[in-house]
Amino acid sequence: MAQSHKEVLTKGLFKENPVFIIMLGLCPTLGVTTQVVNGIGMGLSVIFVLVFSNIFISLLKNIIPNSVRIPSYIVIIAAFVTIVEMVMHAFAPAIYKALGIFLPLIVVNCIILGRAEAFANKNTVYDSFLDAIGMGVGFTMALILIALIREVFGAGTITLIPIGNFDGVLKIPLLYTYPVRVFTLAAGALLLMGYLKAFFTWFAERKRG
Amino acid sequence: MRQFLKVGVTLALIAAIAATTLAFVNAVTAPRIAAYEMQIIENALSTVAGKFRLGETKPSLTDEKVSAVHLLQDTDGNHIGYILQLEGIGYGGELTIMASYLNNGEVVEARLLANAETPGLGKKAEAPTYMEKFKATGAAVPVPVKKDALQKEDADSISGATITFAGVAKTIAYGSNYVKSLGGK
Repeated sequence: MAQSHKEVLTKGLFKENPVFIIMLGLCPTLGVTTQVVNGIGMGLSVIFVLVFSNIFISLLKNIIPNSVRIPSYIVIIAAFVTIVEMVMHAFAPAIYKALGIFLPLIVVNCIILGRAEAFANKNTVYDSFLDAIGMGVGFTMALILIALIREVFGAGTITLIPIGNFDGVLKIPLLYTYPVRVFTLAAGALLLMGYLKAFFTWFAERKRG
Repeated sequence: MRQFLKVGVTLALIAAIAATTLAFVNAVTAPRIAAYEMQIIENALSTVAGKFRLGETKPSLTDEKVSAVHLLQDTDGNHIGYILQLEGIGYGGELTIMASYLNNGEVVEARLLANAETPGLGKKAEAPTYMEKFKATGAAVPVPVKKDALQKEDADSISGATITFAGVAKTIAYGSNYVKSLGGK
């Protein structure tokens, strides 16, 4: 591993973006991105779980026997997801409600298991922490980008977090009256994902020259 | 042999630590979650009661789709209908609906509570306006359980979530028939 700490932190943003380049965690990506606020909530939960699972797996990498490493990772990840779920249900019921079924599904989000297997079990605790932050933020940015495009075109709105008198929903004229409904549906998610993947691949190749 | 033992013990140890941590977090959060769930039920009861008063709760239920029956009274204390807590099936699984009916089975007000519908699609059924299309149905006008039975605007509002709509509508219709079978008693 010849990567500097800065590289470890920033590679998840673009160079190895979990959604657009490594193509991990596509199921929750396509599932939650109907509204921007869902993307934000899901992204933050994944960052939380990813940071703690990466730290603990990196700490335990010499204790866990190689033959049962995957079951061990899943137990650790599931424990953190359940903690997030219970704490959110008790102290932030609104976000808990908005995330619904996608919260328990973080257990099987392949980004978390993927980073545990590909990074945390080979690297130091500090690097694993940086990797989790970078990958988590990259995932969140990807979710927000997809959700923004889908919501603007598919529903003509941008749903953010309600603060005070602001109910959290921005309406876009014209598109609100005549939305391109397919973007909110599963087919639109796949189409958009394809175009975005093509764009990021083109961008990466152009940069390489 | 020793290798197997070591692997088994390590795995058991990790699981035991995880379980202990979860038990501890659960002990802290469970009372708050229970209080929050109670609050939701109470809020829903007072919302669907609307301008009417909530009467006593009827005990001993035999119907598995009706988990609670409360009496509904007008301001003079006359028994005019019921509030039912109903369990139905939507797109994502079970859903709970709180709905108030007059004695003749007419829907007064309804709210979708616990559910596992898709955020952004079926979840929209939680909005208070979603239930407008069921109001005043169930007696003279039947509860719309098919998309064809809706006005154009209402039909548009459920597009992308027709299975959720069918689940909600069937549950509300079931409640209406249940109220009719009670016969005002």
